[in-house]
Amino acid sequence: MIEFRPSELTAAEQSLRSEVIDFLGAELPRGSFVPGLGMNAAKDPAFSRKLGERGWLGMALPVAYGGHDRSAVDRFIVVEQLLRWGAPVGHHWVADRQSGPVIAKFGTDEQKQRFLPGICRGELSFCIGMSEPDSGSDLASISSKATREGDGWVLDGRKIWTTAAHENDWIIVLCRTTPRDEVDDKRQGLSQLIVDLKGPGITATPVPFIDGTADFCEVVFDGVFVPDSLVLGEIGQGWSQNTSELAYERGGPDRWLSTYLLVEELLRRDHDGRSDSLLDVLGQAVANYWVLHQLSLSVARSIDEGGAPAIESALVKEMGTRFEQDVVTAVLAHLDEAPNLADESVFGRLLVSAALTQPSFTIRGGTNEVLRSVAAKGLVPSSGTR
Amino acid sequence: MSTVPTSYAADPLLVDTVERLLADICTPEEIEHAEQSGWSEPTWSALAEAGFPWVGIPESAGGSGGTLPDLAAILRAGGRFAASVPLAETAMLGGWCLARAGLPIPPGPVSIVEGATVAGGQLHIDGLAAWGRWAERIVAVDGTRVFSLRPDQVTITFGANLAGEARDRVHGRVDLADIEQADGPVGMPHVVERGALSRVMMASGALTAMAQMTIDYTNARRQFGKPVATFQAVQLHLVTAAQCAVRAQMAADVAVRALDRGDASFEIAAARVVADDAITLGTRAAHQAHGAMGVTREYPLQQLTRRLWSWRHEWGTTTTWRRRLGTLVAEHGADHLFELMTD
Repeated sequence: MIEFRPSELTAAEQSLRSEVIDFLGAELPRGSFVPGLGMNAAKDPAFSRKLGERGWLGMALPVAYGGHDRSAVDRFIVVEQLLRWGAPVGHHWVADRQSGPVIAKFGTDEQKQRFLPGICRGELSFCIGMSEPDSGSDLASISSKATREGDGWVLDGRKIWTTAAHENDWIIVLCRTTPRDEVDDKRQGLSQLIVDLKGPGITATPVPFIDGTADFCEVVFDGVFVPDSLVLGEIGQGWSQNTSELAYERGGPDRWLSTYLLVEELLRRDHDGRSDSLLDVLGQAVANYWVLHQLSLSVARSIDEGGAPAIESALVKEMGTRFEQDVVTAVLAHLDEAPNLADESVFGRLLVSAALTQPSFTIRGGTNEVLRSVAAKGLVPSSGTR
Repeated sequence: MSTVPTSYAADPLLVDTVERLLADICTPEEIEHAEQSGWSEPTWSALAEAGFPWVGIPESAGGSGGTLPDLAAILRAGGRFAASVPLAETAMLGGWCLARAGLPIPPGPVSIVEGATVAGGQLHIDGLAAWGRWAERIVAVDGTRVFSLRPDQVTITFGANLAGEARDRVHGRVDLADIEQADGPVGMPHVVERGALSRVMMASGALTAMAQMTIDYTNARRQFGKPVATFQAVQLHLVTAAQCAVRAQMAADVAVRALDRGDASFEIAAARVVADDAITLGTRAAHQAHGAMGVTREYPLQQLTRRLWSWRHEWGTTTTWRRRLGTLVAEHGADHLFELMTD
């Protein structure tokens, strides 16, 4: 059986955590801003730049490219605090979590010089160019294609469920560069291109989200020229590169903290109450946060020790996102009033947003069904002993 | 990370030894036999010969020495192999109380009874005692007073949990002058916490064994021409069983770490809530993945699940622990909630 080793923060890590807590208290005092639900929190480029100045973006990226050569655990600490605070992480979120690391891993020196310093300063924003109207969980069946022309590629196709594509700077697009009938397996012949969202031939149209917000987009690429200098990694290696990118998406605190503030604000609101119902909600939620924090920290530590905890990350994301929904269900069941769109209190806003957007938690970044397949393949039979 | 299970800071040699020993003795046949007869003498003899039931009790007090993490690893192994003997009662609960009070540790099994109060020069006893009928001494605690009762001083009414493990009712009124006793830094609330944690440790072992059994079975069992583990519908159960195992394991390890250092009220309550949920969801998933095979007495899954269903009722209910945790949280307040959970 797979096992997660318990871990603890070192003295240096604890002081980093205190630093982040102090920064948030000073920069975003409670009551001075509208907290958001985890990674869905607001976009605030100025706040992102301040994080960049503190050295808290691109933390694990190389110093040579503006990063800080810090550990996965250091990044875990910063991200966990930002999320529990409901801080506006929207502008830099994707760039910091996955675009930066994937460019650092597969990019050319020129690409690293061009993109990583801006990501680390909190300036550049990125989108994820994976899902298409006809390709969700069966990602390798995508039909966006790039054809060779001169010193580059011409990209045609469409991507969907792309958060903030109408505002962000860049998108890493997974597309087909060798026609499907020329390869044995659909996972072959795919490539990743770094595409300028402000360039010609691109139309990003918001797809109104279930809560009425308009960050979700459909992006159409119509004859978009992408120079060879913006091919990420190797042509034809897009599938394995993309799988590696997905690993950055999973296992972190963003997969179990999305609805945390609902619990904290409930306690703040009902601080005098000690009803059994409230104690049940608190006890149940807190036990789960406690153990998910430990499991997630263990994953980060394993990465720093040279491990490749892909199975562990899939297990954490699958249970963490279900728990995020369980929290909403429990809080709603405890309350004696329905969520109200006109409620402008911090708790009221969070409740409305959580109640409406919760189905997305177990879908984004790989549906729970796909995650279970990933995890199940790694849960291997024993060789005789129990 | 996905290789040999280790427990927090336990001596690896000790863990390896106890696991080998139990793997040899605790066969499904021996467990079934123990359930019928109420006792597994081969298991107790082998463990006792190696000193395992007294790990965590200092040698100076008559124990085998070793650390709390060592003890946790032994209880986890006991759960993993469904060892039908009072390991927790002897090492972590009754025996520990005796040692803390400076009372002699008997050579045989020890049990502990939860309900005991001093009144009118007598000790009034009425409560459940795990493995009570097999105990050489039954421990009772009132305040800081620790009592070491001989079985012939009380009435023992036989009972058994769903797994056929002796869960006897011990009752009677015994003159204080007739009881071996001493004061010790013990206290029933703390004993209850240790009891609850012992069940988390045992459950984490059983849940790990159960998850592995489920993985093995669903990969071996073929339907529609392929292993059932390849079906998305079955993967749900497979993954749930594995998640429940790792959650309970992490909960046990972190709570043991906390108790090893001092006050662990928060961690033990949280661990118990996590473990009880893991038992409910994990056993359901494992049984569903096993189909009809899992509900037969011929297949060993039920030896684990019946124990898990029993242990979650011992040393407090899920509701008790959840509300105790909720109360702790409410007392700390919203501003300190996150630090409380993540420190």
